[in-house]
Amino acid sequence: MEIGTNDYRVWTEGSTIHYEGTMRLSGTDAYAPILEIMNAVLAEKPELITLDLSGLEFLNSSGINLLAKFTIEIRKQPDVGVRVLGSKAIPWQSKSLKNLQRLHPALELTIS
Amino acid sequence: MLEEFGNTAVSNGENATRFSLKLMAEPLELSWHHCGVTSDFIGDYFSRACARDVDPVDARHSISYMINEILENAVKFRHGGDIEIESSLENNSFEIQIRNRIAPQTAEGFREHLTGLLARDPGELLLERIEENALNPDASGSGLGILTLMNDYEAKLGWSFVSGRVSEGVELTTHAALRLS
Repeated sequence: MEIGTNDYRVWTEGSTIHYEGTMRLSGTDAYAPILEIMNAVLAEKPELITLDLSGLEFLNSSGINLLAKFTIEIRKQPDVGVRVLGSKAIPWQSKSLKNLQRLHPALELTIS
Repeated sequence: MLEEFGNTAVSNGENATRFSLKLMAEPLELSWHHCGVTSDFIGDYFSRACARDVDPVDARHSISYMINEILENAVKFRHGGDIEIESSLENNSFEIQIRNRIAPQTAEGFREHLTGLLARDPGELLLERIEENALNPDASGSGLGILTLMNDYEAKLGWSFVSGRVSEGVELTTHAALRLS
């Protein structure tokens, strides 16, 4: 599955969801198609879901809300693990991704 | 009448590097897209003007994130009219004022929201707000912009409301300051 514009791309490979580019969509409704792709991965109940954000240069606060909302959905399913991959070269990730771990302490966060 | 909330003090002085911009309501048809390009432009401008001990990648991103979030709110809630941006940098302190008009009832709701917000710890409020958003899939806004700025970016924020005639709406100035490192 893949969705995108000139600014960003989101696609799945098995239970890994990749994000790339700059996402500044205008609110919950605008992010809904992306959440749909993410929920489709969760519906398969894999052992581990990986969110690969290492190519996501910019995310606005509505997008942070999308990641947080999905983290809460995963939290409801104790058999599904989650790993988040980020990059030290992208400042927002070191600043904001720790909030996901506060929501769901079992979330594995690697910023390298 | 003037009402102020949070940190509205301006500390950058005469020797600051300054940049001002007015986004005209006509004939540009101000839209969502202008938030991103404007904030990236100002972030890039000041990341080149900051001192050697400042990480320019972090400065560029933090300035851009901060302006984008405030501009998104300005575009979303504005009651016609232009959006004015005044920014400055001095001694690694970046300051910005973003001015736009909002409807009186929008101002009333926002003042109430700010009173509640400023009384609490932003980190706790951020998590609470996220949990609430997850329970309300129909809510259109996330309300996380201000909270992420305060908690994740340690930005100092303030708001001044100037109201005169009801028909003219309320002039809202959002003040934001960021220590670059």
